[in-house]
Amino acid sequence: MRIGIVCPYSFDVPGGVQFHVRDLAEHFLAQGHHASVLAPADEDTPLPEYVESVGRAVPVRYNGSVARLNFGPVTAARVGRWLERGEFDVLHIHEPVTPSIALLALWSAEGPVVATFHTSNLRSRAMQAAYPLLRPSLEKINGRIAVSEDARRTVTTHLGGDAVVIPNGVNVSRFADATPNPAWTGTEQAPTLAFLGRIDEPRKGLPVLAAALPAVLAEHPGTRVLVAGPGDVEAARERLDPAVAAATEFLGMISDEDKAALLSSVDAYVAPHTGGESFGIVLVEAMSAGAPVVASDLAAFVRVLDGGRCGAMFANEDPADLARQLLRLLGDPAERERLRDEGSRRAQVFDWAVVAEDVMAVYETVTHGVDDWREVRDDRADPADTRWTRLLRGRRGTED
Amino acid sequence: MQTVTWTAVAVAVLLGIAWYLSYNAARLDRLHTRAEGALSALDAQLVRRSEATLELANSGALDPASALMLAGAASEALEAHNERVLEEDFLEGQSFGQREELESDLTAALMAALSAEVVGEIRRDDNLGALALQRVEAAGVRVQLARRFHNDAVTDVRRVRRKAVVRLFRLAGHADLPRTVEFDDELPPAVRD
Repeated sequence: MRIGIVCPYSFDVPGGVQFHVRDLAEHFLAQGHHASVLAPADEDTPLPEYVESVGRAVPVRYNGSVARLNFGPVTAARVGRWLERGEFDVLHIHEPVTPSIALLALWSAEGPVVATFHTSNLRSRAMQAAYPLLRPSLEKINGRIAVSEDARRTVTTHLGGDAVVIPNGVNVSRFADATPNPAWTGTEQAPTLAFLGRIDEPRKGLPVLAAALPAVLAEHPGTRVLVAGPGDVEAARERLDPAVAAATEFLGMISDEDKAALLSSVDAYVAPHTGGESFGIVLVEAMSAGAPVVASDLAAFVRVLDGGRCGAMFANEDPADLARQLLRLLGDPAERERLRDEGSRRAQVFDWAVVAEDVMAVYETVTHGVDDWREVRDDRADPADTRWTRLLRGRRGTED
Repeated sequence: MQTVTWTAVAVAVLLGIAWYLSYNAARLDRLHTRAEGALSALDAQLVRRSEATLELANSGALDPASALMLAGAASEALEAHNERVLEEDFLEGQSFGQREELESDLTAALMAALSAEVVGEIRRDDNLGALALQRVEAAGVRVQLARRFHNDAVTDVRRVRRKAVVRLFRLAGHADLPRTVEFDDELPPAVRD
């Protein structure tokens, strides 16, 4: 199958959608399909062979923050040429409601279109103002995918209709095969806990973990907390209680390999996020690596952990409850072992092999319909069907 | 001079209206096509599901009572499909007729026959039955997708057809108003694992 994938976010910077697009394309390529990705990127950014740059993105204030977007007639023409050259059986557009190449691709799309909605936050003033204009383009989408129940709810409330939920994929084997690092491996006297995420972003929950730690240290004085993520270390250290600061090691930004090694070494991975998470891919990564997970009871996390069966959960923003859960886990090696097993099994559901198969089922469903009506249309092909009448009808139909 | 100006304005307005009507007609046509395609996809996946179920029933992997029940439900669904081949233009009198009920029955039969133990057993001895079960699962998933995509398309068609300009100028022609297809397409939980 010839698959065209449109990613509206620049490949210059790492991001969830970019990784998703990259992994999906590589998976389909490995299966022998043809896949081409169209995305913004700077000229000197090294790109994989299957990615075509649509040019560099322009930073613009949009929806309350600075977004890097692509628009204008030159970009539109590039998108059109890529579509024409690609002769795709199916066009897969990610985040279609961004004022970027996603919308441009949808605008000029003529064949079957699949759209994936990643965000659980669609509502924007710009969208509401431009809605009547967007509607006809959005009507071209044959199959809608949402990456989480929250994203799906956003689609149903703001766009109407429905979407099928296909979660983000994780390369489970990359985490499952990671070698534990002895420096991060916990012992009976000195168990290790891991935290991942920006240290100065309160929504990632480091303050909640910090507030829970004194109670944990009182019972397990040797506990080490490994914090991996970007941010100002000195400022973060100053905010900590001295005893907690002494037990905390800041690792800064770490590579993907180190992340996998860290998760496979520790006695528990703590996800004290307080909100804004629509899926929780890091939980799946931790489970793949075999780390027992302790997470706040955000709706998205509850779903990933299968209602709390595959990880310990605590009341969101409640350090006392977090401390209780941590103490329960640290004092019970058998329970940790059970969570490791349950987690590894649960993670399989989110493996790319499974996820990509579901995406392929969507492709097959939407392309099936089109082949059929094309045949019907061809049978009924009107001899008076000229370029001009096609233009009037909206440029659709029998060009192949 | 004045007559020329007025004529020009009138022509421009008429052209504007003509463009607007043709634009809406094209949009509606595209939507109808999408609904037609989605319905045909759903139809094909339902046939595939019935055929895979028949295969499973005849594979010898099930006890005869379960096999007979599945074969009964699947062949009834297939028969109903063959009796009413979708017209060339699906929207002419598009209706699922009694088929919703039959497809729900097939879903219920699959649900009843494929308990966790039975599925585990079929998958353990990896033969014809396991292959057929795989096909039932694949078709079942695609039925769910196709039905959802079809109903989305129908929702869009119905919304556009409610627009005043579409009703006033009868832009929908004589195409029937498509209806959503509602039946139970849940897969047995053991099969989905």
